[in-house]
Amino acid sequence: MGGKKRKHSEAEVAAPVKNDEGPPERPKRTLLGWKDKVEKEKETDSKPGFRNKEKVLVTCSRRISYRYRHLMMNMVSLLPHCKKDNKVESKESKGATLNELVELKSCSSCLFFECRKQKDLYLWMAKCPNGPSVKFLVNAVHTMEELKLTGNHLKGSRPILTFSNNFDKPHWKLLKEIIMQIFGVPKDHRKSKPYHDHVFVFSIVDDHIWFRNYQISAPHSEMDKVDRGGLDKMTLIEVGPRFCLNPIKIFGGSFGGPTLYENPFYVSPNQIRALEKRQKAGKYAKKVKAKKRRKMHELSNPLEPDEFADMWKNDD
Amino acid sequence: MPYQQPVILNRTGKDTMNVDDVENPEVEVSESEFESEDEDVKLEEPSKTSIYNADGLLDKLDDISWPQNVEWIHKLSLDINQEQKVDVNDDLARELAFYTQALEGTRQAFVKFQSMQLPFLRPSDYYAEMVKSDSHMVKVKGRLLAEKRRIEEADERRKARESKKIAKEVQAQKLKERAKNKKDEIESVKKWRKQRQQSGFAGGDKDGEMGLTFEDGKSFEKSNKKRPGVAPFDRTGGKGGRGGAGKGKRGGAAGGKRKGKDFKDSKFGFGGRKGMKKQNTAETTNDFRSFNKGEFSGNKKRKRNSQLLLWKVAGWRPPVVRYDGLDLATAVSSSGLQIVE
Repeated sequence: MGGKKRKHSEAEVAAPVKNDEGPPERPKRTLLGWKDKVEKEKETDSKPGFRNKEKVLVTCSRRISYRYRHLMMNMVSLLPHCKKDNKVESKESKGATLNELVELKSCSSCLFFECRKQKDLYLWMAKCPNGPSVKFLVNAVHTMEELKLTGNHLKGSRPILTFSNNFDKPHWKLLKEIIMQIFGVPKDHRKSKPYHDHVFVFSIVDDHIWFRNYQISAPHSEMDKVDRGGLDKMTLIEVGPRFCLNPIKIFGGSFGGPTLYENPFYVSPNQIRALEKRQKAGKYAKKVKAKKRRKMHELSNPLEPDEFADMWKNDD
Repeated sequence: MPYQQPVILNRTGKDTMNVDDVENPEVEVSESEFESEDEDVKLEEPSKTSIYNADGLLDKLDDISWPQNVEWIHKLSLDINQEQKVDVNDDLARELAFYTQALEGTRQAFVKFQSMQLPFLRPSDYYAEMVKSDSHMVKVKGRLLAEKRRIEEADERRKARESKKIAKEVQAQKLKERAKNKKDEIESVKKWRKQRQQSGFAGGDKDGEMGLTFEDGKSFEKSNKKRPGVAPFDRTGGKGGRGGAGKGKRGGAAGGKRKGKDFKDSKFGFGGRKGMKKQNTAETTNDFRSFNKGEFSGNKKRKRNSQLLLWKVAGWRPPVVRYDGLDLATAVSSSGLQIVE
C-alpha cells in the first residue's frame, strides 16, 4: 500500500497543492498506523512549502592530477544530487564559462576543482545564479581509494552533517551555510536512499575546515532494533575522503564579484616555494659573509701575546 | 573569540610579501626546517590590506540561507561542541577530536530520528550499491588480513627467538652437567686406582676389570659406533683375541706392544671362531650400500629409457649418419658408413 500511496503523492508535488508535499511521505510509509497522524501534524504545521532542490555541478580544471581527480570522483559518489561535467580550461574567463555551464545544467551550486602546476588544488564552492562563492586551498588530501580507510556505506544515503561549534564569525557562518547546502543531500531526492549510515565532519581547527566522512556501524543484532544499548555500541569507521580546506577569498557573486572576505593569514603555495628556494640560494653568500665577519672580529680583538710561545725553543 | 589566535609557523612570513628581505638571514635559517615539511604556512600577523566585509557577508548569508523554520530533517546538520582546543600537529588528538565530534553528532541524530520514528541505520537485509565497490572492499579486506598475518608472524618470530635463547641456556646447562659427570667419573676411577694401590692389588687383575665394567650399568649397552679393527660378526666386543685363550692379561709395561698385536689379531683372525666370519649378521644382511652400484641404479627416470642406457653402456651408436657437407665422398670413405637421405 505504501508504494502506491507514495507514487500518488509524488505526482501531486508537481501540482500546486501546497500543504501536502514531500515531507510527510516518508513517515507514512515506514510508520505504524497509530503514530502516523501525530507525525503528520507536526510536520505540516512547521513549513509545508519548503523543498530542497539543490543540484550541484561538479567539475574540474584541465591538467588535474590523478589524485585530485580521484578526490573529485569521490565527491561525485558522495553527492547523489550532483552532476558531473567535462573539464574546464582554467583561465581568466573561467568564471563566465562556469556560470554558463551551471545554468545550462540547471544547477544551483557548483564545486570546481582547480589544479595548478600539477600540485596545488583549489576548490571553488559557488552558489550559482547570484553568489556568493568561496575559493579554498585544499591540503592534506586522502582519497577514498586508500586502503587504510576501511569503511563503506550506501551510495546516496543522506549524510548527517556535523559542524564544530566554532563556525561563529560572519564568514564562517556563511561558509557553514554554503557547505550545508552543497553537502546536504536533499530529502527525498530520487537517487538518495532512505537510511542514514554515514556522517560528515566539518571542523575548524587552526583556521582550516577539516573534512572527514565516517560510516556509522552498530552490531548486527542491534541494527534492527536499535535502542539505548545500541547507542553505546555504535562505532564509526572512516570511509574517506579526507581533506582540509583553507579559505582564501569569499566573493559576492558566483565565480567573481566583489570580495567580501580575504584570509589575512594566507600565503600562497607559490610564495612558500619561492621562499624556500631563496633560503636555499643564500648559502654561499652567507658563508662569505660569515667568513668576513670572523675576520673582522679577529682584527678587532687581537690575541694577547702568548708568554709560553717560545718556551720550548729555548730548550733546544 | 578565544579560538582566533593563529598558530605561528613562520616568523618570516610577513617578509615574504615584500621581496627585499635579505637583511636578517639568521632568522630565516632557524625557521627553515619548519617550512620544509609544512604545507600551510601562515603570516605572523594579519596583512593590513585584507578585506573583511562583515555586513556584506551577513547579507549574503541572508540571501542564500533557507527559511528559519525549516525542519531539521531537511538539513540533518548538527553543531557539536568542541571541548578543548585541538592541536593541529598532533595527528592522533586531532583525529580523535573529529571522531568524537562525529560520534556525538551521530548520537544526537539518532535520538532525533528515534523521536521522529524514522528509520536510521540500514537494515541488515537491505542491499544496495555502496560507495566502494566490492572489489575494492576485497582489497581492503586482503590488506587487513595481511596485516594481521604479519603481526602474527612477527609474534611467532619473537617467540622462536626467545625459545632459542632458552634452548641455548638449557644446552649450556647440559654441557656443564656432562662435563661434571665426566669429571666425576674420572675422579671415581682415580679413587678406585688409589684404593687398589693401597690395598696392594689384592683383588688381582680379573677382579679389577670386573669392577670397572660393572661400575655403571651401561657397560652392557651396545654402542652404535664402529669399532676399529673389530669384525662385524664379532660379538665378543672386540676382545676375542685377548679374552678367549686366557693367556693374555699382561702387565701394564708391555701394553703398548700388545695393543698392536691385539689389533692385528682381531683384524686378521687369531683366535675366536673362524667360521663366523663367513656368516651374515643382522647388519650385513641389511647393508645395501655395496649393492646395485652400477649404471643401472638411479632414479626411475633413468630406468625408463633403458634402451638409451644400454647404448651408453655398450658404447654403441646407430650406424646411420647424415652429412650435408661437400666432401661426402671423403667422409664416406673414411668412416665406412652408409648414407641415408
